[in-house]
Amino acid sequence: MIQADRNHGASIPARAGIGLRFQHHQAVLDGQADVPWMEVHTENYMGGGRAIRCLETIRGDVPISLHGVGLSLGSAEGIDPAHLRRIKDVAERIEPGLMSEHIAWSSVAGSYVPDLLPLPMTEEALEVVCRHVDQTQTFLNRRILVENPSTYIRFRYSTISEWEFMVAVARRTGCGILCDVNNIFVSASNHGWDCSQYLAALPPELVEEIHLAGHASRTMPDGTKLRIDDHASAVSDEVWQLYRQALARFGPVPTLIEWDNEVPALETLLGEARHAARLIDDMQERRPKADAA
Amino acid sequence: MLLELQRQMLAGLIGETPGAIGAALADGVNPDRIGIYRNTVLHGLTRSLRLVFPTVELLVGADFFAAMAAAYATSCLPRAARLDCYGDGVADFLDAFEPAATVPYLGDVARLDWAVNNALHAPDVAPLDPARLTQAADWQDRIRLRPHPALTLLTSRYPVDDIWRAVLARDDAAMAGIDLAAGPVFLLIERQGEEVAVSRMDIAAWQFLSVLCSGQPLLAVLGRADGPDAAVMLADHFAAGRFADFSVARCERQNDRECD
Repeated sequence: MIQADRNHGASIPARAGIGLRFQHHQAVLDGQADVPWMEVHTENYMGGGRAIRCLETIRGDVPISLHGVGLSLGSAEGIDPAHLRRIKDVAERIEPGLMSEHIAWSSVAGSYVPDLLPLPMTEEALEVVCRHVDQTQTFLNRRILVENPSTYIRFRYSTISEWEFMVAVARRTGCGILCDVNNIFVSASNHGWDCSQYLAALPPELVEEIHLAGHASRTMPDGTKLRIDDHASAVSDEVWQLYRQALARFGPVPTLIEWDNEVPALETLLGEARHAARLIDDMQERRPKADAA
Repeated sequence: MLLELQRQMLAGLIGETPGAIGAALADGVNPDRIGIYRNTVLHGLTRSLRLVFPTVELLVGADFFAAMAAAYATSCLPRAARLDCYGDGVADFLDAFEPAATVPYLGDVARLDWAVNNALHAPDVAPLDPARLTQAADWQDRIRLRPHPALTLLTSRYPVDDIWRAVLARDDAAMAGIDLAAGPVFLLIERQGEEVAVSRMDIAAWQFLSVLCSGQPLLAVLGRADGPDAAVMLADHFAAGRFADFSVARCERQNDRECD
């Protein structure tokens, strides 16, 4: 197990940041984004050329978190060492404040699919994920955070709740938890879970980042309603409400606004981040009184 | 059991029905929900192919491209989690794609899009300083140059560079003026600073650079070239940073065994 080193991510403040996408590179370079930190998808910067040089320039002014979407920590066949090497190469150039990945899988039988596919919540899957988190942290020589998934299906073999699975991965490997509040809301809606119970199961000391994003609602042909985690809209009122609960439990945590599809104007993203920042401020104003009481 | 489940899930994603993975779902979970993942995967792969092959998409239209991308994606999934490197088989796929047969240059346009994409995303590698070749002065006859990873040499019987420019500029007049029978083109695609350059070369210069990039011994290539132009062209290629490194073959007869 890699030794916990909370200071490694110290350059990412417990404030609200935005997910940086290519569409906004120039506006950010022009100084239009006054945010305390940003996060990018690691896989978008694995080549050379303009993209990574832009990010290096931005990194000079704003702390960056690297959020991976392709390592496939849950692959039964193992993680791709070449991909791990590419992640490390990006990290060496960008020197991120935080690095994170997902409790999901994307690769099997030599093929990769661009989605974060659900794992059965079993002891076998838990061992696979922990082995790969260990491998990743050892190779990168730093801790990572792992994010809870949004899911639309459950497997009949599952024996562990998702929140227990998340905590077990963190406890066994020393990694932290990236609590995606929208994902909790989406999965809880789709599976009939209690969001509050999920949050209450996550120990505050393990949660080092929060994600917020928009989702869609869809009625399936069989009449059931599903929430789809499409990152294509503003954060919903219910998710903002759940975020308040998360802040009350976890305290101030670096919080990220993600918007990956139908990406809006930078100002819209910044507006979402300002709203999250206000909620962090509100929580900090109330918190000392609550502690005193 | 996890591996079997993941294999079943993959089959359910690229097939039209969930198949065996349906039996692994918890009671009350409709197997149709696999379709949400299938849509995400297909959408993601199509979007990445669209970014890599913008000229192809503009030529055939969004709907045709989406159908082609779906056909390609389900027969040829990415092998690694780098979607900006996905699509190396698209040009060959288009050559054999019956619905695209009426656009005979489409495959070569895809090859040019692919080369441009490579120039955009290839790793940042410092160009070879020709002074370093003096380190290998004792083995000059065994020096082989390695091209810069952002560089591609492409030839087509169609003027795909003119097509590429006209299509991306949405210049219908230029497109209408292109003579498909004007003869073959010999192209160099490379990164210049942060920009991608697509240049037409004459056949002799293109062949000379192709041979240099193919890993043949430098002295032998220069020895076969006619006149003083070869040395001048070589100097130009060095100045333009078209080589990344060199190797020295251990033995003339063992061309595949190299040492740095």
